[in-house]
Amino acid sequence: MGAVLVYGLINSVILALTAIGFSLTFGISGVANLAHGGLYILAGYLTWQLFIHLGLPYALAAVLAVIICGVIGALIYRLVLLRVRGLMLSEVIATFGLGIAILEALRWAGLISYKYKLPAFIKGGLQIGGVAVDYQRFLAVIIGLLLVAGLWFFTHRTKIGLAFRGIAQNERTALAYGIESDQAAMLSVAFGSALAAVAAIIILPLGVTTVDIGYEILIIAFAVGIVGGLESTLGIVVAAFLLGYSQTFAAMYIGTHWIMIVNLIAIVLVLIIKPSGLFGKFKELEERV
Amino acid sequence: MKGNTIKVVCAGLIALLLAISLMCACAPKPKGAVEPVVFGLPTSLGYWFGVGALNGATMAVEEINAAGGINVGGIKRPIKLESIDTRDSAPGVPTADSLLAIEKLILEKKPAALVVAPNRSEVMLAALDLNAKYKMPQIGTLAKTPAFQTKVTESYDKYKYCFRITTTSIYMGDYHVALCKYLGEKFGFNKVFPILQDVLWARGTADATTKGLEALGWKKVGEAVIPLGVTDFSMPLLKAKDAGAQVIPIFFDMPEVAQLIDQWATMQIPAMPVGVVGPLLDPAAWESYHGKVEGVILHICEAGVWPAPNLPKSKEFFNSYVKRWGKEPEGIAGQSPSYDAVYVMKDAIERAGTLDPDAIVSALEKTDMKGAIGRIRFGKDHQAPYGYDPKETALGLFVQWQKPGNKKVVFPLPIAEANIVLPAWVK
Repeated sequence: MGAVLVYGLINSVILALTAIGFSLTFGISGVANLAHGGLYILAGYLTWQLFIHLGLPYALAAVLAVIICGVIGALIYRLVLLRVRGLMLSEVIATFGLGIAILEALRWAGLISYKYKLPAFIKGGLQIGGVAVDYQRFLAVIIGLLLVAGLWFFTHRTKIGLAFRGIAQNERTALAYGIESDQAAMLSVAFGSALAAVAAIIILPLGVTTVDIGYEILIIAFAVGIVGGLESTLGIVVAAFLLGYSQTFAAMYIGTHWIMIVNLIAIVLVLIIKPSGLFGKFKELEERV
Repeated sequence: MKGNTIKVVCAGLIALLLAISLMCACAPKPKGAVEPVVFGLPTSLGYWFGVGALNGATMAVEEINAAGGINVGGIKRPIKLESIDTRDSAPGVPTADSLLAIEKLILEKKPAALVVAPNRSEVMLAALDLNAKYKMPQIGTLAKTPAFQTKVTESYDKYKYCFRITTTSIYMGDYHVALCKYLGEKFGFNKVFPILQDVLWARGTADATTKGLEALGWKKVGEAVIPLGVTDFSMPLLKAKDAGAQVIPIFFDMPEVAQLIDQWATMQIPAMPVGVVGPLLDPAAWESYHGKVEGVILHICEAGVWPAPNLPKSKEFFNSYVKRWGKEPEGIAGQSPSYDAVYVMKDAIERAGTLDPDAIVSALEKTDMKGAIGRIRFGKDHQAPYGYDPKETALGLFVQWQKPGNKKVVFPLPIAEANIVLPAWVK
């Protein structure tokens, strides 16, 4: 049982890390950035290339990859999304297409081999309550929790974060207060993309970087976002823990082949019972009416 | 006005491109030019095994063409390899899409034969109907389900065009049973907990392994079937530990399996992992995983992907592959049988003296040649048999990562370069 609790926590935080960038972008700009998975893998690929091919220090390679992904996110908004802002279906199609283009471009560039393995930050492991855990997973939990706390602080205590929340609550009123909505949306897509890169750099060292992970990340981000409420940070955290522990318990006590089904069942149930998600506010009025 | 100008320019460019294309298509062939014999290669080119298979086949084509080409009825012709990505290994790609790609290759490139074939057994089996429809001889080198042999045997007239020289789930099961039997004799093991990917070949192999071991008195203490996309293996590993497993046969062809070994080592699960773990054959695996791969026994499906000490052709292939592509074969299957498949098809066409499909099939059925994988012959089920003596059959083997960071052949015993070593926490 101890192992289930420990690994349930690890998997939950990893799910939260995966989804948090996606949720931030949607919550603030209303854009479902379906290029999230593509940017996630791009970050891993860039880090590997900068670290192995160019010989940069690992930390520097990671930071550069995060910045590059953030800039790409901003460019995605400026060059593509700005032109279709407000047309939800067009935004979804545009970002989905971009995500696939990034992933398949990486596959074409050679991201097929097993050699794209990012090294763990620290070798070895430790015991948590008698359960052996490698340092990378332990760091993923620490960094994940810090990131969530940092995101809460950013959106509640900083000028830019409060501006983001203002845009998310009521764009017209925010505009009346001088908050530039397009700039805020661009920054939110940039931040969301950078967060996807951070998640990639922490999680990808656990295995091999491959293109297929980019498609799976999108499903995970969707599942967590829809269950928790796409625009709610608290919702993301609660949903991540709900799904993380459900998957872990399912794997241990029912059967491993239920792991992927848990996400999909959760999405369907939430969409039936509360389509805006557990802590979601969008469409709440329509739901009540 | 500006809009009209743009339209005129675009129309002009399109017309120019069409004219150039037409000129190229109608250009007379240079005197003496011989029509190449086209070999089609439809498989998952977006994955390491597809790329490896293409690399192996390409090497063979280059060698054959450098030696003058293939002799078809007295005329030497070059071989041209035409590949297409069927994407059959990508999650969520419908089988119909993969079949469309194969049909496109057959109709557009008009190959005389196909080599390699789709990787996913489910798609490979469905594609056999295309071989029947177009009377297309084929030698498969990736998909491993024994259902292939059943189809050929039960409907010979329809599926006679299809052959296969990769190993099968049954042979892989036999090899794992033989290895586990040896582990039982040497270390006293007798409890097994397979962890496998939820795909046809893995289920077949796990099934064959378990049945074989149970017949020897072993106990299957549990099993974990992992769907595609899962990256955390902590729970199945803990279940194996709680069940008292001593050997964990692993059957995975996707990269996520690297995490399984990483977690096995971190959690110090006291059971021996053996089996199909593709990412760990990579020469950098020892360093990438900080030595956590020590003790893992990897099944090499076909000799040549890793050289077998008693098979010089496998060493030749391995060294040629490294020289040609600048790296060792990746993963544990595909490169050497794909290389051999081109030679087998060439040999059959030359003996048939024609590109007539039925004549090629008759010739293929009489194949008896030495390749990088060992001796290649076909049974009535059009499957090349695998065994332990490369003078008689094709050969699979096992290697183990050992200190200070090398892979050693450890089974079959007659060709072992080193003894099997248990990890420190496995008693």
